[in-house]
Amino acid sequence: MFNRRDNEPEYALLTGKATKERTQWGAPIDTVPEDSPLREEPFIVNGDEPGHNLRNPNRYKQHGFYFNADNCIGCHACETACAEKNGTPAHLNFRSVGIVECGTYPAYRRLNISMACNHCEDPVCLKGCPTRAYTKYAEYGAVLQDPDICFGCGYCTWVCPYNAPQLDPVAGHVSKCNMCVDRLEVGLKPACVAACLGNALDFGVIEEIPDNRVQAELSIPGFPDPSITHPNIRFQQMKTLEREVKRVDSLPVQYHLDEQQGRYVPEVDESKRPPVEWNLKKLLKSHEMAHVAFTLSVQAVMGAFVLLTLSRWFGIAPLADVSASGMFAPLLWVMVALAAFGLFKLNMHLGRPHRFYRGFYNLRLSPVSREIAGVSVFFGSLAAHAFFALFDNAFARGMSELFAATALAGLAYGGYYMYRLYRIPARPYWDHWHTAASFLGTGLSLGSMLLGIASLIGGAATPGLLASLASLAFLGLLLESAGLLVQWREQEKASSEAAVSWLFMTTTYGHTFRLRLGLLGVATALAGIITITTPLMNGGLSFGAPLFVLLALLAVAQSLLGRALFFAVVVPTTMPGAYFWKNPGFVEHAREVGLADMPQLGVAYEKHHKFDVQELLKTIRETTWQEKWDQFKRIFTG
Amino acid sequence: MLFGRTKKNPVNLYEKPVVEWRTATCGYCSTGCSIDIGLDENGMPVSCRGNAEADVNRGKLCLKGIFEYEVFRSPGRGERVMEREHIRAPWQQSNWDSALDRLYSEIRRIQKKYGPDSFAIISTGQMLNEEFYTLGKLTRGLIGTNNYDGNTTLCMASAVSGYKRSFGSDGPPGCYEDFEHTDYLIAWGSNMPEQHPVMYWRLKEAHEKRGFPIVAVDPRVTILAQGASLHLPVNPGTDVPLMNAMMHVIFAEGLEDREYIEKNCTGLEELKAEVAKWTPDRASQITGIHPDTIVTVARAFARAKAAMQVWTMGINQSTHGSDGVVGINNLALITGNVGKPGGTPLSITGQCNAMGTREWGSTSGLPNFRALENAEHRKEVAEFWGIDEEFLPRKRGLTQTDIYKAMEAGEIKGLWLVATNPLTSLPDTSRVRRAMEQLEFCCVQDCYFDAESVQYAHLYLPGATWAEKHGVMTNTERRVNLVKPVIDPPGEAKPDLWVFNRLAERFNAEREKQGKKPLTFPESASEVFDEMKQLSRGRLSDSTGMDHELIDKHHGIQWPYVEEKRKRGEPPRQGGVRLYTRPASFMHPDGKAKLIPLPWEDNNEHPDEEYPFWLNTGRLVEHWHGRTKTGKIANNNKFSPIPFIEINPDAARDLGIRHGEYVRLVSRRGDAIAMAMPTGRVPYNMVFMPFHFHNATNRLTLGLLDPHSRQPAYKQQACRIEKIDNQEEAARLCMEMRTF
Repeated sequence: MFNRRDNEPEYALLTGKATKERTQWGAPIDTVPEDSPLREEPFIVNGDEPGHNLRNPNRYKQHGFYFNADNCIGCHACETACAEKNGTPAHLNFRSVGIVECGTYPAYRRLNISMACNHCEDPVCLKGCPTRAYTKYAEYGAVLQDPDICFGCGYCTWVCPYNAPQLDPVAGHVSKCNMCVDRLEVGLKPACVAACLGNALDFGVIEEIPDNRVQAELSIPGFPDPSITHPNIRFQQMKTLEREVKRVDSLPVQYHLDEQQGRYVPEVDESKRPPVEWNLKKLLKSHEMAHVAFTLSVQAVMGAFVLLTLSRWFGIAPLADVSASGMFAPLLWVMVALAAFGLFKLNMHLGRPHRFYRGFYNLRLSPVSREIAGVSVFFGSLAAHAFFALFDNAFARGMSELFAATALAGLAYGGYYMYRLYRIPARPYWDHWHTAASFLGTGLSLGSMLLGIASLIGGAATPGLLASLASLAFLGLLLESAGLLVQWREQEKASSEAAVSWLFMTTTYGHTFRLRLGLLGVATALAGIITITTPLMNGGLSFGAPLFVLLALLAVAQSLLGRALFFAVVVPTTMPGAYFWKNPGFVEHAREVGLADMPQLGVAYEKHHKFDVQELLKTIRETTWQEKWDQFKRIFTG
Repeated sequence: MLFGRTKKNPVNLYEKPVVEWRTATCGYCSTGCSIDIGLDENGMPVSCRGNAEADVNRGKLCLKGIFEYEVFRSPGRGERVMEREHIRAPWQQSNWDSALDRLYSEIRRIQKKYGPDSFAIISTGQMLNEEFYTLGKLTRGLIGTNNYDGNTTLCMASAVSGYKRSFGSDGPPGCYEDFEHTDYLIAWGSNMPEQHPVMYWRLKEAHEKRGFPIVAVDPRVTILAQGASLHLPVNPGTDVPLMNAMMHVIFAEGLEDREYIEKNCTGLEELKAEVAKWTPDRASQITGIHPDTIVTVARAFARAKAAMQVWTMGINQSTHGSDGVVGINNLALITGNVGKPGGTPLSITGQCNAMGTREWGSTSGLPNFRALENAEHRKEVAEFWGIDEEFLPRKRGLTQTDIYKAMEAGEIKGLWLVATNPLTSLPDTSRVRRAMEQLEFCCVQDCYFDAESVQYAHLYLPGATWAEKHGVMTNTERRVNLVKPVIDPPGEAKPDLWVFNRLAERFNAEREKQGKKPLTFPESASEVFDEMKQLSRGRLSDSTGMDHELIDKHHGIQWPYVEEKRKRGEPPRQGGVRLYTRPASFMHPDGKAKLIPLPWEDNNEHPDEEYPFWLNTGRLVEHWHGRTKTGKIANNNKFSPIPFIEINPDAARDLGIRHGEYVRLVSRRGDAIAMAMPTGRVPYNMVFMPFHFHNATNRLTLGLLDPHSRQPAYKQQACRIEKIDNQEEAARLCMEMRTF
């Protein structure tokens, strides 16, 4: 139990005020009904269950922070008290103060925004987490995350609009604000609130306006759109701000007052327009390259598999010839290897790669779990399909086709969620149908290239086959181009962080993006040319083959650049940072020049984490069969 | 749970392994917060929390206090006594005996060869009162150099000087409780939310209850300025004309408190004659403040039932620092706002114990605000210590700033630095380096071996820090707070009191050889306290009613608290103790305060074509002074780990400087590299640079001295900003220039 002093000052005590029934979003403030059995389940914090008499009377009401933005002085006491209480390493904080400012000297105003987890009504972190590391407790409505379950994929950090979950690059797992539920249990406000020196931060049952305050606003400038998650935080901000509010961190985002919406919406801050550069090294060495490798390789294999299987099943010439050729079985193994490579890269980028098996745990809610499940079924079935394709008998053929069917099912399910998982409202650049166009286009273009190159190597290629494959690639490339161009047009001037993504696309990665566009254009044209001309060249491959190889190279290159850019330019709807702390520009700079070597700088390097076989074996050994079975059941029950 | 899982897992939160809490007073700023330090089962400090019973902070701490437990074993602590032949020779490990012998013999050698004042001692605002008193006794009573000062010359000298000129003695008259009674508050060059965050919280609490107007006078839109009822963005260094114009309005409109002035002040006519010249229009031309605004503020200030003025370095660190303090006092006196609840001037001190060195350090005089210039004071102290009265100089010696000039002039050959780091803190670093290179002998006594000044030392004595020691500190509101040791110093490091006592033994031995009686140097801090408080009897800061135990019990006691009260069974008050509450109780011989006219002449280095920017300097909430402490505590340091400037976005745009780029700053003194952070906080022609980073800001500063206090003007000088094309090289250079 948290050690409560006899003389705790009044400002640290929960007021116990609970007068409202529903939140402004319409949800009941009681987290569970009066008679819910959940109220009787023990709530065990740090091993000891507080006695019944100590139980906080408002335990089963949704609690939340209250932030008076006019009062925040940016003194960092909340952040530091949080770090002290939670023993967090210096390179991350559960709570951070960001800064936005507006006006010109002396008509200038700075708004400090202290933000931790908002313990949302709709916790997208919980729904996104594939390992079920998150729980929204009936107690206080607290959304708690267990680092011991987490496998460090960081997906919750993608979906959370507020930067609340902290992916620790050193420890390789996520952790976050826990509402100081141990303090709540003994009637104390969270450590950050008790530490506040500006009387800005408060805490209590949600919708309760503290004494001396009048507003319970849902948002303030710089705070991401609350309709995404219905965060349990309320604001007061009475002092007049200018129409344009700027961030002080490196991100070229500013917030503009939209009279119609009555709120500040994000847009590009032209004063921070970056220079037009290549930044190829930065692009191709990023931590997200694992995702590039995974999506491209798996989508290529998926595309090739669909073409192979459907053409075989429905006898679509000349594609069906590939299945009939002697290179069919080897090709399948190449596909297995390529998909395995993608899966390996994906798994090894996890903070805890040896906990890979937890990826399915949240099948009920998480698109990531569904993607992993679907792709795993696809991969397993593909391998089985390839295995049975090695034998030439009716049983093996039957089994092979059966596994082809399950592979298709897995592919459809996993492929869909591979796309769905990027439709994240907190990442507006991705949250667009172009993501589907890009993934489908990749499947078509790289899938057909894979088949074409394989048939060229295996000697099964014909001008007709190459032309057919080129036409499919043409479709894929066209789809990708169309998605890209529509997205560009729609997002470039959008009132969202997506516009900033396009700023990065055309400046920081401007030359690279132009190269990619060029490659895409040339590849599309070439695919068209091959489609039309190759069948006309009587019989021989001497014309079509070199062009096809060139097309394949172009397609791979543009896909690689395109996908790398897809991950590099995305700008989340994050909370603003400060000058140094949580300033993405400074973090990058510190890593680049070596300032991050100083432990007191608070910047850690990204690093790869080893596959800890020992931990895996230990878990297997120490988990009873009953627990394993229960765990398995909970994949479906939650 | 609502959803997420059907299996409810137990919740495991991090817990500090604290087995015992011990209380100390914070060693950072002068607010004087009481801190509970949590120790683990091995006795290692692992946690800090605000003490809930202490009246000062009522359970609160700022971010520095919250992580203060990390200072004990932070990198760079000096653990060994070190010696070397010359400043380029490698360090050799030494021991206390031979090191103190060397310090003793070097002091005497230099004094013999070049005269008694050729050896200078510069102390600090970081030690404990008992240590200040002991060092003062050692210096004034045994060593006998008059060139002895504290680094308080860099922060509070102007306040000291201004108080002395107006009231006849140093000593801030107000207290924190005044926030709860005031009806109007002017903050002159004081950004409390950043400089004194917990004191600001006390102000905020009071303000939320009663909502009185707050006026911020500051050239920069600080957090206090933007939150204030009114911000006066005054031109740098022009506070005195603003004060004069306010007094002009007050007298012109008959808003002064005639009865109060009659009973308590002298010099009214001279003051009136001077301020008559300062019409709001004239002052407006100089200060940049709208004349009507001056009138508004003057009227509201004068009409308020109780009006308070606080100030910090914006006033003290300027060429008219002492005059600025006198101006504040003038304003307070003519409106009767001294010594009454909510009506007071209150200088907000910088260092945790700057007040202690003012009271007990004997730097600018003798213990407890006694003056060397006063024969009676010399006699009292000489008799109390048992020394020859003639041994005490009849006039104060050089200030820290002038000691460095005397080093340049070859008049000072030896230096003992105690818990201060002039290489980082004095203006114009290159001159400081040059001065220190010329020393024949320099001893640095500090808790950090990596303090920059150690570069020029021949002898390094590792000091204990903060709650490794025992004694008291006095805070801004004259509250004497106790610090008790919670952990032993690392390695061979020793409390400063121990070091002074051991050195005193050597000088006492010399005395005994001459057949004189040795001076007493009690070993324990509480004994020292009992000795020194005798010297406070009957004086302004009478603390004869206190002892360590009682101070501990009450979480600090404000002076005065006299023995008679204690004997009567009157416990010390929780707060709200003020000075000059009775009529004509000021410390000038006639009991009256002086109204002093302040003619003003602008002598600052202004921006010009070659150096078009004002260079303003100041503090950040996350750092403490030269960062020897906070620069190593990640949870403080990470909020501003490298030198930077605030520059107006329009100026940055016109210079082609991008957000987050390194720039070169050039002044007539030198250059520095810093990262540019554009913000509308500063005007087009000003950059603000935090002073905390060594080898940066003070390479540029000019440091003109106030004629009364000899305090440097750190905040008003000119510089230019140059764009750096090779950012990689700039980053490397900036990184190489400091390891923390």
